[in-house]
Amino acid sequence: MSVAVEFDKEARFGPEFRGFWDDVRQGRLSFPRCRACGKRHWYPMKRCPHCQAADIAWQPVSGRATLYTWSVVRHPFTEDLKARVPVTIGLVEFADAPGVRLITELIDLKPEEIRIGMQLQAVLPTGNEPCPKIRFRAA
Amino acid sequence: MLQEIAIVGIGETPPARRSDKDVRALTVDAVMAALEDAGLKAGDIDGIVSDGVVMPTSVPHEWLAAQLGIDRYFDASMSYAGAGTIGAPLLAQMAIQTGLCRTVLCYFGVDWGTRPGGPYAFHDLYPAKIAFEKPYGFNAQPTYFALFAHRYMHDYGLKLEHLAAIAINQRENSRRTGRGQNMKPMTLDDYFKAPVVADPLRYPDCCLISDGAGAFIMTSKERARDCRKRPIYVKGVGFASERISADDAFTQRANLMTLPSVGAAKAHLERTCGLKLADMDFVELYDCFTVSCLMQLEDLGFCGKGEAGEFVQAGHTRLGGKLPVNTHGGLLSYSYRLAVEHVTEAVRQLRGEAGAVQVKDAELGLVTGLSVPDFAALVLGR
Repeated sequence: MSVAVEFDKEARFGPEFRGFWDDVRQGRLSFPRCRACGKRHWYPMKRCPHCQAADIAWQPVSGRATLYTWSVVRHPFTEDLKARVPVTIGLVEFADAPGVRLITELIDLKPEEIRIGMQLQAVLPTGNEPCPKIRFRAA
Repeated sequence: MLQEIAIVGIGETPPARRSDKDVRALTVDAVMAALEDAGLKAGDIDGIVSDGVVMPTSVPHEWLAAQLGIDRYFDASMSYAGAGTIGAPLLAQMAIQTGLCRTVLCYFGVDWGTRPGGPYAFHDLYPAKIAFEKPYGFNAQPTYFALFAHRYMHDYGLKLEHLAAIAINQRENSRRTGRGQNMKPMTLDDYFKAPVVADPLRYPDCCLISDGAGAFIMTSKERARDCRKRPIYVKGVGFASERISADDAFTQRANLMTLPSVGAAKAHLERTCGLKLADMDFVELYDCFTVSCLMQLEDLGFCGKGEAGEFVQAGHTRLGGKLPVNTHGGLLSYSYRLAVEHVTEAVRQLRGEAGAVQVKDAELGLVTGLSVPDFAALVLGR
């Protein structure tokens, strides 16, 4: 598709994203929480979408999550996927961060073992990649 | 209520996976066909409307106007892709009713069947998708709707046989037109033998990829009487876009088991046009996936929540059923032109020109366009 407005790919390192990667490198999984109204939001935004305040803090979660839904991507939609399919993808929720759902890769789980509602545990990356993947496995 | 406007001409290129022509040539062909159908000349057009993202960057209004010889006194775009094309009659209605212009062209075309990237390249517009989704392989529409489908199965007992019923029904309709892009016969067994794209969705659950264009011409009720074919009236347009970004709409919306903006657009449409969707003789739903077609049947109120699977499996959406859906085969089997082919099909139905897929005595039809989080619903009538 010839969309002329190609978004600046470096935007993922923009100020509203930075806290996430900084915390991951420290071994924490954190999501934005508005200091003014106390509500969570995800993905990162310039201001709180609930009250428009700019005072947003990164608040860590325990890493325990519940599986909301999932899929196994089998078709290689991009060049990058050709070497990786099938990939098991999960969308997970956090009891300690209501309103946040995270797309992740589910590891060490066969499709027949996956159950919506199952408890999962975050596997945080080690190393110094700029935007590393956060994966989840059965808790 | 202001005076109605009418669709007086339609045109489309033959459904095809690949064409020798690029999107601009295809669009010119479709517009010329629509002019011929209306009995109008390009010089009669004095306004152009389209979606606001795909057409302005691939077949710009001013390029098309120069190619065809159109001087414009009205020019507007709204939303993007399907919701933009289905919402566009709203713009035409305002312009014609206020006297800004008299005859408005709307068009849409793609050559995603041939050009690299196709619809997936679109996602590079969104920074959060690049940062938090694409690295995982979550960057294509089938995967988004696969997540919906799995949760839907969990919450409402949706069965794969229900999704198969939608795909099979539309394949049969495409076959009956005699010109659909995919007319290969499909049984339930064939459906289950098809490769999985993203669990639980298989190839037949996903829209085609096509090269093609479509166009339609709108004018006042008064001027419509002088055109070649029976005028088909724009009875109402409902457009809604709820407060969620396209970054967030597939994963963060509080309730992911309804499609964003569908209920709001329906309510807006019914309130402004004084019609009830329950009165439709047929519907052309934006069926990018079987599951999105199914969810719209519920979110538009044709079925209760969780009931559309049984409704489809019972045959109610077949030709001859109580609510024929996607009479030409839709995006799943006819062609993927993101809703403009749903408008041309609805007009054929209401004129009585739909041939082997004609819905008997069709007087009112609904056409929808889904461009998450935007949604538009258009009621056409004769």
